[in-house]
Amino acid sequence: MNYFIKELERIKGICFSNQIQIDLAVNTKRYIDTHFDQAINLNLLAHLQFTSKYHLLRVFKKYYGITPRQYLINKRIEKAKKMLKSGKSVSDTCYAVGFESINSFSNLFKAKTGMPPSVYRRATFDKSKRGI
Amino acid sequence: MKIKIVGVPVRDQQKALDFYTNILGFVKKVDMPLSEGNRWLTVVSKYDQDGPELLLEPAPNHFPPSKVYQEELMKAGIPYTQFYVDNLQEEYDRLTKLGVEFSMKPTEMGTVIVAVFNDTCGNNIQLVEEK
Repeated sequence: MNYFIKELERIKGICFSNQIQIDLAVNTKRYIDTHFDQAINLNLLAHLQFTSKYHLLRVFKKYYGITPRQYLINKRIEKAKKMLKSGKSVSDTCYAVGFESINSFSNLFKAKTGMPPSVYRRATFDKSKRGI
Repeated sequence: MKIKIVGVPVRDQQKALDFYTNILGFVKKVDMPLSEGNRWLTVVSKYDQDGPELLLEPAPNHFPPSKVYQEELMKAGIPYTQFYVDNLQEEYDRLTKLGVEFSMKPTEMGTVIVAVFNDTCGNNIQLVEEK
């Protein structure tokens, strides 16, 4: 057993020994992965996992390093980028990935990618159409 | 500021290019001749060809401390570079069939599964699957 594997086992014992908490975080992430296009909030996620929203928030952040809301936004933006790149309109994309307002979608998209969705669509869709 | 290129030190650039493209499945992005037979050589993920480039740099051949550092990491089994995959067990099976040597089989580590293989160019590389 090399140094790295020994260290990994040691850290695992310290940080990842609570399987119930790990399952809670993983199950929540998987729910977001498959339902990101629906209305999701902390109350719903906690209800689905039979736990309190404060506990869920703390556990999710502990194991993924971000909050469930941040994870959901990242997921939606990642999906939106794919849709815009394939030529879908900004408004179709906005609602398809679960945002309820084009304003908040545009603001979050710009904050995450550095450009508004319309500019991103023009840049990436045109590029892929031209085969660049 | 953007993260555009990350480097991995390699002993033999051609051997590294073969391994990273033919075995791992990356795609060559830039191949530019430099002095003394060295190349500015980068590969990208097939699924994210506009994403970050991996620079296969021959630093251990020209800068002795880089060689020492690489050798010590290899001895300790430490991976300094990691790649993400959708299904680690499938990737482990595929690479094992191709003769890739793993120093660590797929192992659960909290919310991820990790494994470590030898890239035949002097490095341990970690594969990660998010659960």
